[in-house]
Amino acid sequence: MQDILAYITLGLAIGFLVKKYFFKTKKKGKCNTNCGC
Amino acid sequence: MGDDKVVKVALIGNPNTGKTSLFNQLTGLKQKVGNYPGITVEKKQGICKLNDTLKAEITDLPGTYSINPTSLDETLVLDTLLNSTSESFPDVVVVVVEIENIKRNLLLFTQLKDLNIPTILVINMIDQMNRKGINIDVNQLEESLHTKIVLASARKKIGIQELKTAILSYKKLDTTPVSNITDRIDKEYFTNLKNAFPEFPLYKSWLLITQNTEFDFLDANQKALVLKFREDIGCIKKYQHKETILRYQIINEVLKDSFIVDKSKASDLRGVLDRVLTHKIFGYVIFALILLFIFQGIFDWATYPMDLIDESFASLSSWLETVLPPGTFTSLIAEGIIPGIGGVVIFIPQIAILFTFIAILEETGYMSRVVFLMDKIMRKFGMSGKSVIPLISGTACAIPAIMASRNIGNWKERLITILVIPFTTCSARLPVYAILIALIIPNQKVLGILNLQGLTMMALYLLGFTAAIFSAVLLNNVLKIEKKTLFVIEMPNYKIPSIKNIFYEVVEKTKAFIFGAGKIILAISIILWFLASNGPSTFKNAEQFITSKEENKNLSESALQKKVAAYKLENSYIGYMGKTIEPAIKPMGYDWKIGIAVISSFAAREVFVGALATIYNVDSDSENSGSIKKRMAAEINPDTGKKRFDFPTGVSLLLFYAFAMQCIGTLAIVKRETNSWKWPILQLVGMGILAYITATLAFNIFS
Repeated sequence: MQDILAYITLGLAIGFLVKKYFFKTKKKGKCNTNCGC
Repeated sequence: MGDDKVVKVALIGNPNTGKTSLFNQLTGLKQKVGNYPGITVEKKQGICKLNDTLKAEITDLPGTYSINPTSLDETLVLDTLLNSTSESFPDVVVVVVEIENIKRNLLLFTQLKDLNIPTILVINMIDQMNRKGINIDVNQLEESLHTKIVLASARKKIGIQELKTAILSYKKLDTTPVSNITDRIDKEYFTNLKNAFPEFPLYKSWLLITQNTEFDFLDANQKALVLKFREDIGCIKKYQHKETILRYQIINEVLKDSFIVDKSKASDLRGVLDRVLTHKIFGYVIFALILLFIFQGIFDWATYPMDLIDESFASLSSWLETVLPPGTFTSLIAEGIIPGIGGVVIFIPQIAILFTFIAILEETGYMSRVVFLMDKIMRKFGMSGKSVIPLISGTACAIPAIMASRNIGNWKERLITILVIPFTTCSARLPVYAILIALIIPNQKVLGILNLQGLTMMALYLLGFTAAIFSAVLLNNVLKIEKKTLFVIEMPNYKIPSIKNIFYEVVEKTKAFIFGAGKIILAISIILWFLASNGPSTFKNAEQFITSKEENKNLSESALQKKVAAYKLENSYIGYMGKTIEPAIKPMGYDWKIGIAVISSFAAREVFVGALATIYNVDSDSENSGSIKKRMAAEINPDTGKKRFDFPTGVSLLLFYAFAMQCIGTLAIVKRETNSWKWPILQLVGMGILAYITATLAFNIFS
């Protein structure tokens, strides 16, 4: 049981990091970047 | 007012009119920060209860001097107010002006009023009225400006209820334009403009053609008409100039009888203070002394709560190991999660103290004097006085600081500021510096009053600023981008800092650190624990291998446990990964364990401490467990027999973290702000090379 809980926690941690750095949520609305760049 | 809806309120005003204080009074802690952080360019939203049935959603738009944007954050104000079909279009605009600068502040008000949006004028800081010898005829002013006026002092909580009542009655507000100046500029031209866009208020049409922006809400025909009008740019510029002059003429006329200033009754110290604080010698000396005081405070005052937190987490970890049934999950909690969380929480006192000081400097009005003082210097290095705020904000976090650079109008100055901000010492470096300084610098007094560790911390902050300045000079000479810019800054009145505002600021920034960086640190700690607690067959057979060795037969139980733990870590997955990179990091004086922490902290610098805490916790036997600092101090370099975190290694690590671009979030934001991968890659490579060279040199010089 302890092993299962540990692996679930590990999976959640990896999932969180993957989501954070590889699947960025798109923001609603436009972002005007007319800054001359 | 039986409407079952939320009233959308836009809070607009010049910088330093007390807009944010008013926002805090209206919304309390019911705030959420949007996409545009940084005190001067923030886009915050919050909910304000108007009565038992109706609420208002207040949007605190970035401070702007006029509706004609000169920078990206000011463009936001224009975007919000022109697109009446947008979800964020306000039902009512609350324009905040400051009593002492009412004449200049009213320019923006007259522009907004001409857009026919229901508008309320808040005259803020009325508690200063008597001291400044000011007298206002509110009825006459309301009549002249066709608006509802609320006299307020956000800091003294005066006029807040009156403002809520005014917002409740927003449908009854007069939307008549305040200045019919178009006929006085060019009657024929503006008649043509009105006929071209009959569906819009005339001033909105004027703004559409004068701004160098493509408005998505226009249809193809309207866009073509806008472009046609824009062809005569000379005419537009001339009329814009006339518009500003005429607006000020109207403002002067309106204020002539309704706003009387009797200087003989005024009594203020502002002039005297300004002369001293912006003095070409004393100004810099005072600024340096204030910085010194802040860094002394960070070290001296934060020590006790930090030690308490550190010991508490160490005790909690040991306690959980004894009360929970033994097993993998218990080990994960006690050796991975708790030390990981401890590595975040321990730095709350230092971060809270730093932000308290920064908030006080902003609240008192001193920060604007620093910007003014630094402008002359910053220009020599290719930046502007406006770069100081992003650079100082960078002491919190480079991400909002880079976003705060949006208020720098000139692209070259803005790009240079963006590229050098990551050198300023952000709060993520604070945990790394704090623990390393505590390990290698003795806690002793210099000249009887100054703490040596505090001085070292200040030196590292100065090193960051110096690196930023030198990089700016280099970039200013290398980047071939034309620049021409003017510097305008508001000098707000000096104020007694509002405890409420400071509290909100500190809570918000500390929360951002804990819940932003904290989640990443925790996730990485869990993964590190797994990699350090598992491994191939050599790891699994560690106990059998060590106990079977002849030389270990006579060892005590605890010594044997220690040997097993060390062998296990070395043969774990993380051990193999660390050993692979060890040759590359050895010149800097690091072993594979430090290497793992350095690599893990590429996600965020503060992960370094949490990663080491996890690695050393897995490594330690029960006898040797304790606080993070104790475990790091007890680590021995097997090659030399000396402490692992000795002076050369400590200095090398401090320099590495001072210069290296160890932050994925910053790279992402630089990419977004510059719209190119070129600049973040340049930062990553340039800063990485500088960090590697200086760390290697420092280690070899001090060894």
